[in-house]
Amino acid sequence: MLILKNLLRRRTRTLLSLLGIAIGIASIIAFNAVARGFKASIDRYMQGSGAQMLVVNRSAMAPEYSRISREEVDFIKTVQGVDHVSPGTFTILAGRVLQNVKKTKLKFLTVFGRTPGDRLVEKFKVGIEGRLFQAEDEMMIGADAARDLDVKLGDTLTMYAVPFKIVGVYHSDVKFEAAGCVLSSTVVQKQLAMGTSVGLCFLYLKDGVDWKQVRDAIESKAVNLAAINTRDFTQYYDQLDYIDWFVWIVSLISVIVGGLGVLNTMLMAVSERTREIGTLRAVGWSRGQVLRLILAEGLLISVVGGCLGLFLGTFGAETLIHWAPRGLDTRYSGWLLVQGFLIALSLGFFGALYPAWQASRLSPIEALKYE
Amino acid sequence: MNDVTIRTIDLVKRYPGADITALAGVSIDVARGQFFCIMGPSGSGKSTFLNMIGALDTPTSGDVILNGRPLSQERNLDAVRAKEVGFIFQLHNLLPTLTSIENVEIPMMALGVPRRERRQRAIELLGSVGLSHRLDSIATRLSGGERQRVSIARALANRPAVILGDEPTGDVDSKTGEQIMACIHEARKQSGATLVVVTHNPDIAKGADRTLHMKDGVLQ
Repeated sequence: MLILKNLLRRRTRTLLSLLGIAIGIASIIAFNAVARGFKASIDRYMQGSGAQMLVVNRSAMAPEYSRISREEVDFIKTVQGVDHVSPGTFTILAGRVLQNVKKTKLKFLTVFGRTPGDRLVEKFKVGIEGRLFQAEDEMMIGADAARDLDVKLGDTLTMYAVPFKIVGVYHSDVKFEAAGCVLSSTVVQKQLAMGTSVGLCFLYLKDGVDWKQVRDAIESKAVNLAAINTRDFTQYYDQLDYIDWFVWIVSLISVIVGGLGVLNTMLMAVSERTREIGTLRAVGWSRGQVLRLILAEGLLISVVGGCLGLFLGTFGAETLIHWAPRGLDTRYSGWLLVQGFLIALSLGFFGALYPAWQASRLSPIEALKYE
Repeated sequence: MNDVTIRTIDLVKRYPGADITALAGVSIDVARGQFFCIMGPSGSGKSTFLNMIGALDTPTSGDVILNGRPLSQERNLDAVRAKEVGFIFQLHNLLPTLTSIENVEIPMMALGVPRRERRQRAIELLGSVGLSHRLDSIATRLSGGERQRVSIARALANRPAVILGDEPTGDVDSKTGEQIMACIHEARKQSGATLVVVTHNPDIAKGADRTLHMKDGVLQ
């Protein structure tokens, strides 16, 4: 009764404080959901390949810079336990060089270079409109990319000043794949002046083979290469950690702003209600009861603000994804929502702690004299 | 001893920083159920004295024995205030966002009285001060006299042994002041509480069982 009425007394201030927390929590949820979504997309992509291992150039900071020579690919094929090697190339094409660019949200097109008829291409058969590509002048395009570029099966898409016939439109639950295209590796090799080298190799192992033995066999002979389990891909590349750090730094700033909002609200509330606090103490309220009253007000702001933040965070992330350039995805977990809510509660608690302590220390005599 | 509700023993209050002696050794007994009035000019120390016997402030030396309990030995003065004392302030000091009932419930919340019991008691008390028709009115919408009557009901909430009034009619006109004092007397009669009032107003003192004057921290 008292808690709610005290907060409703200064509705605008309470609302602003509540929004401060909500925005802080919303930014944590939204940024984390997008960052996790990105990692989850990569994990899904790796699992979707069906390969157990991936070989990349150890020195490359990111997979798009990786180069593996023809000789190294031939060597990998001879390693005991390897059933099949699918070499691949990978590049990202700027959206501005594509047709219909003004209408599109496609800021970039992920280009996957593959060998026609290879095992790695087989997965696109499921649900494809048209057929798999077979020649250098043919391509398959993801459904999202096709929609954004306003092209369809049978159309021609010009890339690198070369026309490619769209022979298949595929679907994928991996957003950056759905917003990408697949064509012959030789095209990418030519355009990026890669010669006969490839970017990475997907390895399919024979049944019962320990991937670590394969890794050791490859890395001991080809010191330039790193052989990793496809499940560990997101952990292997350090730059993905930067995303996490960026997310948490931005979130932390938002959270601090939210916490200061609660602190300010509760300090003002205590200052304005000094005389009332004096009255409560005079009629027998203990310091602890006054402390709990102010803390409860802070916590109520944080509970409502936290719930609002969870809603705004999920709604905001989805809106962001909807309007953002193609390729981004979101992923939520119960733990992320719990974390967001716990952070909101902490903000309310710690934001109100000092004002509550200050209120509880007020001398009833002095407080009653307060004008 | 049982007939004495308030006993002060050589009560002294000094404010060292300001070099002021607000009370200079006050010793007095107030009998149970008595209406005791203290008059005196501003700054004479009468409010300080009231705060001492109401466990709101502690003396520099001396002691207050309230309802048989020496306050110097009490570890929890909050509980003493909640159980033994009912305050009526000059400016009523109601919580502005709360209704009459809620304001009367406040002291009972200090003692953890269950909600239903609190509400029932508050309704009874407000009825006894003639405010049955203002139970759910927000404090700021009440007249000065009505506010003070709510504060009388609040003072009686925990059935205190002592009711302390600090200029209880100081903020209302004389006619309303008479009504308020009548209300306080009726409440005292029904509760059997001891009433101590500090005031400038000689009309209030007329109805007192005992009146003393205070000057420079000394009762005369």
